[in-house]
This record gives sequence, C-alpha cells and structure tokens, in this order.
Amino acid sequence: MNFSGADRKRQLVTVGVGTVLMLVMAGVLIAGFRLATQMNANVAALQTASALQTYPNTLVAQLTSLRDRLETRAYSGQALADLRATVEKFDREMKQLGEFSHSPQFEQAQALWQQYSPVLDPVIDFTDQPYVDSDEEGSTLSPEGRTHYADVKRAQLFTQENSEPLQALLAGLSTQLQTEASTGANRLRVLLSAGVLAALVLAAAAAWFQLTRGRSERLAREAQEQTRDILRTVKEGFFLLDADYKIGSVWSDALTRLFGRSDFAGLAFEELLKDLVPPATLATAMKYIKLLWGERAHENLMKSINPLGQLEIHVETASGAREARYLQFDFHRVMGPKGVKHVLVSVGDITSSVLLAKELQESQENANQQVDMMLGVMHIDPVQLMSFLDSTETGLQLVNAILKEPARTDAEFRKKLDGLFRELHSIKGEASALNLMSVAHRTHALEDMVTELKKRPELSGNDFLPLVLKLDDLLAHLRSVRELATRLSNLRESAPTEARGGRSSGKGGTDELSRTLQSLAERLAKDHNKKFRLSVSGLADIPRAYVPTLKDVLIQMLRNSAVHGIEPAEVRRANTKSDVGEVRIEFRKSADGFELMFEDDGAGLLPEQLKAAAVRKQIVTPEEAAAMDTRAAMALIFRPGFSTQEQVSMDAGRGVGMDVVAKSVYAIGGKIGVTTNPGKFTRFKVSLPASEETSTAVA
Amino acid sequence: MNAVNGNTGNGARRTYKLMIVDDSNIMRRRIERSQNFEELEVVGTASNGVEALELFKKMDPDLVTMDLTMPQMDGIECIENLVKLKPAVRILVISALADKATAVEAMEKGANGFLNKPFTDRQLNEAIAELIR
Repeated sequence: MNFSGADRKRQLVTVGVGTVLMLVMAGVLIAGFRLATQMNANVAALQTASALQTYPNTLVAQLTSLRDRLETRAYSGQALADLRATVEKFDREMKQLGEFSHSPQFEQAQALWQQYSPVLDPVIDFTDQPYVDSDEEGSTLSPEGRTHYADVKRAQLFTQENSEPLQALLAGLSTQLQTEASTGANRLRVLLSAGVLAALVLAAAAAWFQLTRGRSERLAREAQEQTRDILRTVKEGFFLLDADYKIGSVWSDALTRLFGRSDFAGLAFEELLKDLVPPATLATAMKYIKLLWGERAHENLMKSINPLGQLEIHVETASGAREARYLQFDFHRVMGPKGVKHVLVSVGDITSSVLLAKELQESQENANQQVDMMLGVMHIDPVQLMSFLDSTETGLQLVNAILKEPARTDAEFRKKLDGLFRELHSIKGEASALNLMSVAHRTHALEDMVTELKKRPELSGNDFLPLVLKLDDLLAHLRSVRELATRLSNLRESAPTEARGGRSSGKGGTDELSRTLQSLAERLAKDHNKKFRLSVSGLADIPRAYVPTLKDVLIQMLRNSAVHGIEPAEVRRANTKSDVGEVRIEFRKSADGFELMFEDDGAGLLPEQLKAAAVRKQIVTPEEAAAMDTRAAMALIFRPGFSTQEQVSMDAGRGVGMDVVAKSVYAIGGKIGVTTNPGKFTRFKVSLPASEETSTAVA
Repeated sequence: MNAVNGNTGNGARRTYKLMIVDDSNIMRRRIERSQNFEELEVVGTASNGVEALELFKKMDPDLVTMDLTMPQMDGIECIENLVKLKPAVRILVISALADKATAVEAMEKGANGFLNKPFTDRQLNEAIAELIR
C-alpha cells in the first residue's frame, strides 16, 4: 500500500509531539508543586517573622514590669516566668526561622538576638529569693536580690536600647519574606498558565492527529475499497506469485470463475495447473516460471517463449458436457530492491477470440471450397450435371421419406439407418464420379453420422435430429449448385456458338455415361495414386431404362477396381505386369437380352482373404468359412456389410458396395457373377433380360 | 570453416568474439554476413555440437549463436557444455523449432536469447543487440 510510509511517519510525529508535551506538563506540575511547598514554608516563616516583631517590645515591657515589682518588693515570680517563656519562644522561633531563611536580615537579627543572651541569661537563670523579710525594715532585697535587680535593670536598659533595631531587622525580614512569597505566587501563576497552555496545546495536537488519522484512514479505506472493486470487476484473473511459486493472498474474482475454485491463498502454481494440462506442458511451465526469477529473463524474450500463451483446457459445463476453453497466461516481473519480488500473473479467457479465429479460418476454407465448387461445376457437362441434380433430388426425397417413416423399435430404427446409408452412398458415388467434391464431402459427413448412429446400442427418434439438420445443409448446397449451373448454362447459351463447338453430344444419356466413367477413372487414379486406362464399348446401346442402375453399378465397380483391384505401379512391375492397368467395360446384346462385362487386370480376388475378411466382419462364422468352396467364397463379396478395405475413404471401405450392386441388378431382373484369377484379373458379368419393362428402382 | 578474421574492430570499443554454430552452411554464412555490429568479430563457425565444443575451447568466444537440431551433439546439450566451460558466455538460440518447450529448455540450460527461423536481418541484429546489452 502507498500509505504505510506516510502512516509510519505520522505515527512517529504523533508520538514525538505527545512525549514532548507530556514532559512539559510533568515539568510544570513538579515545579508548581515545589513552588507551592516553598510558598507554604514562606508563609509560615512570614507568620513567624511577623510574630517575632512584637517580641522585642514584649521583652522590654516584661523587664520593666519585673523591675517595677522588684522595686516595690512585689511578687516577681510570675513576671520572671513570663519573661522566661517569651525568651524561650523567641529562641525557638528564631531557630525555626533559621531553618528557613538565610537572608542577611535574618543573620543580622540573629546576631543581635545573640547579644541579648548574655544580658538576659542572668535574669532568667535567677532562682533564689529576691527578698529578705525583717521586722524592722520590712521586706528588703537580699544580696542575691540586689544582684538580680541590677541584672534586670541592665537587661531592661539593653532591651530598651536594642528593641527598635531588632524590631526593624525583623520587620525587614518579614518584608523580604513577603516579597519572596509574592514573587513565588507570581511564578506559580505563570507556571500554571504555562501548564494550562501546554494542556491546551496537547489537546489541540491530539485533536489534530485524530483528525488527520481519520482522514488518512478514510483514504486508506477508500483505496482499499477501490482495489477490491478493481479485483472484483476485472475480467482477467490476477494474482502474484512469490519466490516459492505460490499464489499470494490477493487475487481477482475472475480467477474463481476461470478455475472453478477459490482456495488460491498459498496455493502452489503447479497445483493450480496440475489437473488442467498434460504433464509435459506442466513441466515446461514450471521451468519457465523458474526462469522468470533469473537475471536472463528479458520481458520480450520471456513473452516470446511463454508456453502458456494459449492453453487449451477442458472444463465441465453446468449440463455436465465437457467444453474446450482457451486461457492465456501472461507473466510480468515485479521488481523490488533485491531483484524480482513477485511475478504478476494475469489469466484471460481467450476462448471467444480463438474460436473466432477458427471460424475465420473455416469460413476462409468454405470460401475456397465455394471457388472449388464453382470451378468443379464449370468443368461438368451441363446436361450431366442437371441429370445428377435431378436424380440426387429424387434420392434425397427418398431419404426424407425414410426419415419420416414412423419407427418405434430398435430394429425399425436400424432399418431406417440402413436405408439412409444406401441412399447417401449412392449420391456420394455419383457426386464423386462427376468430381463434384463439395457435394461428395457433405454426403460423406452425413454417412459418417449414420455410421456413428449405427454403433449406438440404443436408438431413438431424437438421434435423427442432427441428421435432418445436416441434410438441410446438403439440400441448400445442392440448390446453390443448381443455381450456379443454371447461370453457367445461360452464360454458355449467350456465348458465341463456336465456343461450344466440340461439346455437342450425339447420343444423349449413354455417351454421357462414358464421360462420367472416364472422369471418375481419372479422379480415382489421381486420388489413389494408381495408373490405369479405362476402355469402354457399347455403352451407347444401353436401353434407357437400364441406364440409372447400370450407372450406379459401373461407378461402384470402377471404384472397387481403383481401390482394391489395380495394384500400385511398383507392385505391378514386380509382378511383371505393365505399369498401367487396364479396365474394360463392354455392353453388348446377347442371345436372351444384354450382357455387361466389367474387367480389370488387377490383383484379383483371393478366396482365403475374402473368407478371413468375412469372418472378421462377423458375416460368417469361422466354421462356415472353412466349409466354403471357392465359388461360395467369391459370393461373399455380394453379402451386405462386406468390405476388405479397413480404412474408410471416399471411395471404398464402407462395407456397402457390391451388395448394393447385386441388389440393384436383381431389382431389374438381372444376374451378376464374378470370375477371378488371383494376380491376373477380376471380371464381373451382368446379364440383363431383353425386356425393357423393368423397374427403375434406385439402389 | 574455422575462419578466423583479423581484429578489425576499433581499439576503443570492446570487441566481442562470436562463434556461429549451425549445421547448414547457408545459415552460417547468412548469420555471419547479416550481422552488422562493429564490435563483433566472428572467431569461428561449427556445424555440430562436438565441433563447437572444440572450437569453443580454442577460441574462447563471448557470444554464440546456436542451432538446436544438429548431428552428433544437439544444441541443448552443447549449450549445457558451453555454459559449464564459461558461465559468462552469452548464447543466442536460432532455431526453426517453434516448440515453446524446447525454447524454455534451452533457456533453462543457459541460453540468453531465442530467435525463430526464418528471421529477418533486422530481427537477428535486434536479438544480438539484446545479447550484448
């Protein structure tokens, strides 16, 4: 806090001033006490001195009385006793005054009083009878009495003589004592005023310090509140790490939201990350943190190698689903006088910006795909494209119909899935034959979803909802393709005639089939890195009713040949075959109808491999497989769910293919057979009846 | 290789001896040519960690630019050895590895800077300037 320094200084000043004022007060009180004591003594002394002033005269009077009595031979005992008492009192009080005053007046008075002593002592020491009584003379002074009388007379004269000076000395002494007393009183007044003043100053100072303390406390409290507000409101998680890599006692509230915990005080940084990141990342992060304390860590350099700049973590949402979040950790070193004091860590949730970047990338890819699609569409024969779009639309209507079919049992749902799968597969096949990859990819994704659904142990109507959405997407895409195709065809029509010179199609649908197959062959060869040549003959003679079915059949067969049949060039070379494979398609009239022959000079089919694959796919049991002869083994390829390609690709490996081919051939009343010579060739023969009254069911 | 230049730096300023370690000779030449510090003197180049270590003992350079992926002894191990030989040596890692973990590890072993390949002349000079500072 900014306040600690000023606070401390202020406290020191308070204590200093307070102490000084207290000392002043104590001084005033002690001095006042002493002064008062002194004044008390002064007053007593003054009283004594005042009393003493009367004594010289009293002495004179008593001595005079004593002399009178002696002269009249009266009783002198009482007068002598009075005199004694006065002298004793004078003596005592002089002694008392001597304890107090040492002023010159007193010294002089004392000296004078001492001169009294030799004169008075014989008088007061007298104890004998002063008179003798005789009849003749009556009372007369005894010899002792005469001496006594002489002493008294002398003393009376002495005191009478010295009474005034002594009195004056004593009066001077009391005047002096009075002056001293009044000076003391003045001093006490001043002292008391000073005490009051000091008390006032102390009170004022106390009030002032209280006031400023209150103000600085308020400021501190406000600052604290502001800090708390900042920490509560800021979106980033903030905390300080100490040299032991532990989190300090203050952090922003966002941290709780980001990490779903609140026990941060003293928590080791490693603990914070432990459950969120893989061990390797954690180890790197800890090394990095350690480096931050080193002297080689320049801010820029450390920023550039920050391993937690974009950290992907998975958190559970309220609904229990796991969700990816992206956190960005930033580290700033806080320098103290002895090097790095803390490391300030800020944690931000950059999920939205990361996702935005991804979205941006996706839309970029999408745009690229659009361009690709456009280029793709431009290369397709318009008639062919329109025919594809028409048949696809029919296919998707069928898909929709399948989806709408009511279903309750698991078996019914699975039947639905199988139907969907076949339709989609067929659309995908045609799309890739036309090189319309944007459609093919979308259909492939749909197929993936269906495959996923098939794996589920239980199915319900809700499981089909995502499919419907994806299907809508596909339909929208097909619409945009159609729109594009229409525009292109308008463009072509408005173009000069010579531009479309070579593109006249002589025999409509069947020539179109040859072109479709040729372009599919080219794409397949490129995609699967195979070399083969496709030769077709007689396709123009296919009766129109058979074209849609035979198109599907040939596409599937061509794909199988490209993926499974034709070997890579190096394998072919090793087997003394020519690098370039041969695929032949022939359609001709036969005695009882038509015959379609499809042949490739590829690897052929190995009965044992087919059996093994069928067992693996659980189409047959190992026992059944063992009992099969070559012919039965070959027939396995027409069984549903059979595929020897382990990896799913656009063109094969779905386990749907030859069974669909066989079914669609049967559907138009045909037959299909396969012959093979391992390492040499595979040949399919499809026989079709002459009658054209066949169903045109789509497979 | 091991080309030792004459001391061309002016006498008043301190001359730093620089060693370049990279398995690509194109990269070595590139680094040698594009740095434009008068106070730098390239005292040798090496194409792998073992060679670098030997040359280091002989020439005692102050600065080293270090590739990470090299045959025989990789950069991380080499850094470790160089720092053992001369703790005050300053090492700039120049690597195509964008992996943060490797960068952190290099720093931990004693590297002082990190420069990603590919780099511009300006980036190289800035990184070296940071090192000399």
